[in-house]
Order: sequence, then C-alpha cells, then structure tokens
Amino acid sequence: MILICVANSFVNLLGVDYIDSISQRHVESSKFQIFLILALSVVTFLFAIFAMGSGSSSNLDLYSTMKIIFGLEPASELQSAIIWELRFPRILMAIIGGAGLATSGALMQGCLGNPLVSPLTLGVASGAALGAAFAIVLGVSVASNSDIAIVANAFLFSLIVVAIIIQLGNMRSISSESYILVGIAITFIAGAIVSTMQYFATDAQLSQLAHWSFGSLSRPDLVDTMWITVALISLMPSALKWSWDLNALSLGGDDFAISTGVDPASTRKKILILSALMTSIIIAFTGLIGFVGLAAPHMSRLIVGNDYRKLIPCSAIFGSLLTLFADTIGRTLFAPIIIPVGIMLSIIGGPFFMYLLLKDKGVKS
Amino acid sequence: MSQILRVQDVNFSWGKNHVLRDINFNIAPNELVAVLGVNGAGKSTLIKCINRIIKHDSGEIRIFSDIINQLSLIDLSKQVSYVPQSVRTSFSMDVFDVILLGRRPHINWRISESDRNKVSDTIRYFSLEDFAFRKFDKLSGGERQRVIIAKAVAQDSSLLLMDEPTSDLDLKNQLEVMKNIKKLVSNPDNQKSALIAIHDINIAARFADRILLLHEGKIFASGNPSEVLNASNIAKVFSVTAEIQKETKISPLRIIVKDEIIEV
Repeated sequence: MILICVANSFVNLLGVDYIDSISQRHVESSKFQIFLILALSVVTFLFAIFAMGSGSSSNLDLYSTMKIIFGLEPASELQSAIIWELRFPRILMAIIGGAGLATSGALMQGCLGNPLVSPLTLGVASGAALGAAFAIVLGVSVASNSDIAIVANAFLFSLIVVAIIIQLGNMRSISSESYILVGIAITFIAGAIVSTMQYFATDAQLSQLAHWSFGSLSRPDLVDTMWITVALISLMPSALKWSWDLNALSLGGDDFAISTGVDPASTRKKILILSALMTSIIIAFTGLIGFVGLAAPHMSRLIVGNDYRKLIPCSAIFGSLLTLFADTIGRTLFAPIIIPVGIMLSIIGGPFFMYLLLKDKGVKS
Repeated sequence: MSQILRVQDVNFSWGKNHVLRDINFNIAPNELVAVLGVNGAGKSTLIKCINRIIKHDSGEIRIFSDIINQLSLIDLSKQVSYVPQSVRTSFSMDVFDVILLGRRPHINWRISESDRNKVSDTIRYFSLEDFAFRKFDKLSGGERQRVIIAKAVAQDSSLLLMDEPTSDLDLKNQLEVMKNIKKLVSNPDNQKSALIAIHDINIAARFADRILLLHEGKIFASGNPSEVLNASNIAKVFSVTAEIQKETKISPLRIIVKDEIIEV
C-alpha cells in the first residue's frame, strides 16, 4: 500500500493529471513500472540486511547481528570489527559499486545505440588493468604509499582512457561505432602490454595481478567506500538529466536524435565521460567487475522498457541487488573461502541473464 | 505572404560529387511540396540539409525569418520535424513513448498534460490505437513507418520533412497516410507545410500542391503537378516513356509508365 502511494507520487512527478483513455493507460503503465522499481528497492534493502547477518563467523548469525546493529545486545570487539569494518563496507560497496556500474552500462548502451556495450567496452578497465600491472610488476606508481599504489595507478591510467575519449569527442565526425572500435583497440594495446609484463613477472606478482583482475569488494575499506559513495552519489543523478536525449539516441540513432533537437556528438561525449568516470572510480578500487554493467540494464529493460527516466534508477537498483546477491553467495557458499564477486557475478548472472532474454523467444520445435 | 521555408543558392558536395547545385525554392504555409527524382538525385540530401542532419556547403536556408544554422537544434526541431526513410532500433520501447519523443523539443523533463494529450490525439488521428502499447521493435516495417510519421506530427512543427514516408506501406495505408498529411497541411488554422521526397509519381501528382523535379542535383522543373509531370520531363529525368491522363476524378492527372528508354 505504501509502495503504491509512493509510486503515485513519482508518477505525478513524471507528469500526469488528466483522464484520457489512451493517456490513462500510459499513466497506469508508468505507475506499475515505478511500483516495481520501488519493490526492487525494498528487496535490495532487505537482502542487504540479510547479507549483514551472513558470513562464516559462527557467533554472528542474522539475529545476533541485527541485535548488535540496533543496540539491543553489546558487541565484542571482534564482532564489532566483523560487522563494521568487514561486512558493512563490503555491502555498501556492493550496493554503490553495482549501482554505478549498471548506470554506467545503461548510459553507454543508450548513447552508443548498441546493446552489446558495457562499462568496460571503451577500454577504461583495460587502462586500469595496465595501471595496476605497472604498480604490481614494475613497482612504478604515481603514489609513493604502497597501500594505495595499485589503486592510484589504476585510477590514473583509466583517466588517461577518459582523456582519449574526450579527444575523440572533439572530432566532429566521430560515430558511435568509432568509439567502440577505439575502445577495442585500447583494450588490445593495454592487454598486450600487460601480457608482456606478465611474461617477465615473478610468480608472486602474477598471483597478485590475477587476483586484482578477478574483481573483489574486499579491497576498499570503510573510508574508501565512503569516498566512493560520495563521488558516485554526486555523479549519478546528473545521468537522469540526459534521459530524453538517451531515449532519442537509443531509439533511432543520430538522424532521428537530431530531428528531436538532440546534438548527438556533444551529448554522446558528455555521457561517455560521465560513464567512464564512474567506472574508473569503482574499478580502481575493486578490480575488474564487468558483467553487471552489461546485464543489469538489460534486465531492467524487461521491467521498465527503454524510457531512461525509469531505466537509470531501475538499472542502478538492479545492479546493486545483483552485485550484493553474487557477493553474498561468493562469501558464504564455500566459507571461509571467498570467491571474488567478479567471478560469482558471471557464474550466477550469466545463466539468469540468458534465461530472461530467451524466455519470451519460444522454442522452435 | 510570409514563407515557411526559403532555400537560396544551396550547394552540397560529398567530396568531388556535387549532390546539390544552386537549389532555390520557397514553401508557403499550407503547401504540400513533393520532391521527385531518380535514386541519387539529391532528394534525401536536400531534406537532411534543411533539418541540419548534414550541413550545406553554401547558400542559405531560412525557417520563417531564421537562418537554420543560427538556431539551436532544440529551436529548429520546434519548427521542423523529420521522418527518415526507416528507423531500426536495438532497444524496445512502447509506441506511445516513441510518439512522445516528438514532444521532446517542448519538454524539459516532466511530461505536461498538453504533451500527453497531443500524443493521444495523434495516435487517434493516424488510427494507431490498436498498437499504441505494443513494442516498437516488434512492429512491421509499415507499422513502424506510420508510428514515425505520427511522432513527427506530434512534434507540432511548422514544416514536416518526409523522406519516402510511404515506401514501406501497403496501398491502403499509403493513401490513408497521405490523406492525413494533406488534411493536416491544408487546414488553414494550422499554418503547416510539408516537403516530401517520394518515388511514386502518382501519389505525388494526386496529393502535392507543387512538385520539385530534381535531376543531377539541380531543380530541373518546378510547379504544379500538371505543369511538371509531362511526358517530356518524365522521359528526361526518369528515362521512361509515360502516358499522361489529365484530370481524373481523384487526381489532377494520372501517369502510366510505359517502358524504359534505352540509350544506344
């Protein structure tokens, strides 16, 4: 009931007020979609609570974790450390990182008009991997502090890729296909350099590099996570500003967009920079997490369609839920062994993604 | 009388290929102008220049008194709407939402009451009620074309630019769409005009107030259908022989294409 009331308020915000049979149906459809987004938010919140109480620690089950969180039971030093220094940053990072990568994926798919692209398509992740490899294998980093050497390098190198995107955007004739092809070229070049470094790396360095590339939510601590949260929360809402432009660009390409008053070149450049920046901030800390940025927007389209005013928030929430779910399974399934979230996302999300995409296609007998 | 569109000395080249040469014409309010010509004559290029999808090399194009290059794309799209030859999409969207995109130049973020009304009215005007809430990417080519035409009309601009708007439509829908466009344009309360690139010379003869016959990037002939669509012009431009029947009940003239002219 509360969700329905909130959905009504959101629909009013999107714009409604009168009765016309065709428009009324459109309003009802919007109302239902917003209700689903709100329901998804509630499920994500409840799952986050469940995740807080899940782990390998035998004396910290869901019930006792809740009692400690709400101050009904005193926590030992160990329990407090597990809850606030291990589980909370990890869960917050899953929520904010998943939301950021999914939003970034939705933006890239829309502005490039291509359902196959993800936040990693433009080579931002390859740039980050190259930066991490420089720090791990060669010991070369922009930061002298060894704790942040890998993160700082990964972030700087991914920003170099963002700078390349800005330069590409300044070329008037650049098409969406050109962005994708340049991204593929950057991926190959960075991959070749990383492979060369791996060839000469020690076993320990190889192991560290491989572990970085798996993508894990355990790396950022509470302070890192808070900074990432602040940065992404300040960036993500600006994505909504371009909702109508993304609707036009994703539906009919450049000519169609121009006819509705959208400048495709400048809009695409701004959106790609925003998207690449969000991706850089996340993967510099977590390593490579790719699948959520591809899958969450498509799963969201099955719920709310391609209207970016609803698709962006829905993708963000779906991305949070998917990442949180994969990470919780990854750290509880074979506890105390933790399977990195990047791997779990692909293992769990992949088949689910295929099922959702194929379930309406039918089977040819 | 003030003109909606003025095209003066417009030239455009793709590299060394001069696609448009010294194009001059005006369009007055409530006028439906058809552009005819063979493939590659410059019809689509002309329409794209007017909509600033491509930029002409020289000359001047004005919408009312405004030079199009000095308008923002948003202001231009309030005055000019465009129907491309086809729209292919990888993403799914309800037909209502596609037509709603026509209101995008008038919308900040929130959809107003009048915007939704306009979309609903347009859906009814083009008899699209049956698939208003179906997915655009699941429609047939002809149905999509009708939706894109409806989107352009919902844009409520003064000038409708249409690039072969009937190419994917069956015979009944061709007539229905053209009648709707004609009705919209000829309504004196609307002050709207249309420039339509089209291959079907009988459709052009029946519905156009004026015809521009493009040949090798130039306007070869211009005037009302009876003046322009004679056997000589058709032979020179299209390389076919044709018989012209004047003033039938439904059209000022009817063109029966006989055979191609083979140059030896």
